[in-house]
Amino acid sequence: MNATGEPRPVLKSPGHSGRRRDAFVSLCSGLPGGPTAVVAALLVLMPVVLPSRTMATEILIFAMATLACNLLLGYGGLLSFGQAIFFGSGAYLSSLVMMHGGFGLLPALLTAAVAGAILAALVGALAIRRTGIYFVMMTLAFNQTAYFIAYTLSDWTGGDNGLLDVPRPPLTLFGVTLADLSDATAYYVFTAVLFFLIFIAVRKVIASPFGSTLIAVRENEARAGALGYDTRNFKITAFALSGAVTAPAGALYAMLLNFAPLENIQLSMSENIVIMTVIGGTGSLLGSLLGAGSWVIISDILAEIWPRWLILTGGALILIVLYLPGGLWGGVESLMRRFRGGGTPHAPDGIPNNDGSTAQPME
Amino acid sequence: MNDRHILTTENLSLSYGGFRAVDKVNLRVKRRTVHSVIGPNGAGKTSLFHCLTGGRRPTGGRILFKGEEITDRPAHARAASGMARSFQITSLFQNLTVRENLRLASQGRDGNGALVFWRSVNARKEHVEFADSIMERLGMVRKAAVAAGDLSHGHQRLLEVGMALCGKPELLLLDEPTAGMGVNDIPMMTDLIADLGKEYSVMLIEHNMGIVMAVSDTITVMSRGGVLVEGKPEEVRADPRVREAYLGEVA
Repeated sequence: MNATGEPRPVLKSPGHSGRRRDAFVSLCSGLPGGPTAVVAALLVLMPVVLPSRTMATEILIFAMATLACNLLLGYGGLLSFGQAIFFGSGAYLSSLVMMHGGFGLLPALLTAAVAGAILAALVGALAIRRTGIYFVMMTLAFNQTAYFIAYTLSDWTGGDNGLLDVPRPPLTLFGVTLADLSDATAYYVFTAVLFFLIFIAVRKVIASPFGSTLIAVRENEARAGALGYDTRNFKITAFALSGAVTAPAGALYAMLLNFAPLENIQLSMSENIVIMTVIGGTGSLLGSLLGAGSWVIISDILAEIWPRWLILTGGALILIVLYLPGGLWGGVESLMRRFRGGGTPHAPDGIPNNDGSTAQPME
Repeated sequence: MNDRHILTTENLSLSYGGFRAVDKVNLRVKRRTVHSVIGPNGAGKTSLFHCLTGGRRPTGGRILFKGEEITDRPAHARAASGMARSFQITSLFQNLTVRENLRLASQGRDGNGALVFWRSVNARKEHVEFADSIMERLGMVRKAAVAAGDLSHGHQRLLEVGMALCGKPELLLLDEPTAGMGVNDIPMMTDLIADLGKEYSVMLIEHNMGIVMAVSDTITVMSRGGVLVEGKPEEVRADPRVREAYLGEVA
């Protein structure tokens, strides 16, 4: 029980069973204001520290996609190589309704979210009919299908050339123009506010009955079923929520670039999203921001040094997976733990801390 | 349908290829009793159990629960209708705390109602309270914040039964609840099961004859997929066929 007498679910710390993918312990809950305050601070700092506003915006867009992937992978244990389906569709669809349907900014984003949710629910419903490696292969196959559909429908998507001249309309609400977003700083602020709202929302989702059950399904699906949960519905809902966040991220990306390239829906985009999730740390929402941030920054730096920079990012990925099994966030955590001398009780990111009277760190 | 019986099977059969693991079994489990199924290894107890919990689809016969046919219902639907099970091989949420394990078990009664993602878990306080009451009953209040995987084996077995109780079931299916338990821990499980028989209908699959004889109202002895003998503990104990099946183990 915590101070208010409200019991919270507490997850045990990692390391004990060697299953470091459960490194979702967050010492941030102990920081003033918790993870939400940390994110708010980062959102203010990023445009100041980073070389360009555009890069800061790009990081946040990929961090949204990473959060959504993390919901599936870190909390649901579902490794989806189909995230680009939702990212790419969101980009195309929002662009098309803006260009041909006269949609404003918010309606276009909303369209992407709804379409992303429906699409992801469909993909999820079919893919979860298999488990393990076959499930992963299904998501991969769906991604390839989506790619070829986008490639074929070149009248709509621009095919190989991408969809050109995507507008970035001003922010309007009920016909009143609130802000012109053509300036890079204004667009960053808009994206940052959206990211912040999504971050809070995903945290709430994880601390909900749905979120706690999703973790249970990941931990032990047979038991979850025996307890009365139709585990399929939980997985499909996780997909739908994931799609509802990933597709608007794709839409924001198209507006950032004024262009929706075919790469958005390519398998390599799915890979990138999964990589960002893994290097950030699965099961930690702050890790998602960290993962997306470091991936975008590292890629940017390396691309300037050497045209074959992808080889180096590959090397960086291997190092992280080998030496930081909890991802970058796991590394930050163990540093903080060392800093504090360990022994701090902790709750998972996204769930308020418990007083942890008997929650024992297992190091 | 006789209302005294909560669970009935009619000619229930399960074959793997040509092998009849369960062969035309007729069971009738009375309400508020402990009904045990025993038998030597390979007698078909676990296969029978899988059919009852929905883990396997029977190849013949019917299963009636509270008078309703549930033969083809999936596991989660059986749980929703008031049937809860424990697992022979401990099957807990290892990385979650004891309280969270039990809360999730209690929340399982909501079924798809637990899909709400816009509310906090604290909005459904009754599940936490029920989890706490079960924890008290198991004598595990002090372990509330310990991860299930860090409990002693005996406590894991208790939690296993506690998880089943959280579903507020009418019928409790226990699959070898003492499997792998130390001699010292067995009495606490025996007491718990005997106690549960007063409130719930319990169907027990068990290897440990001491427990079965102590807690059961009715015992069904299985052998080679079929029912060999059924009766009260003393009748079963005295039956020469049972002695033969067990090669003198009972005596």
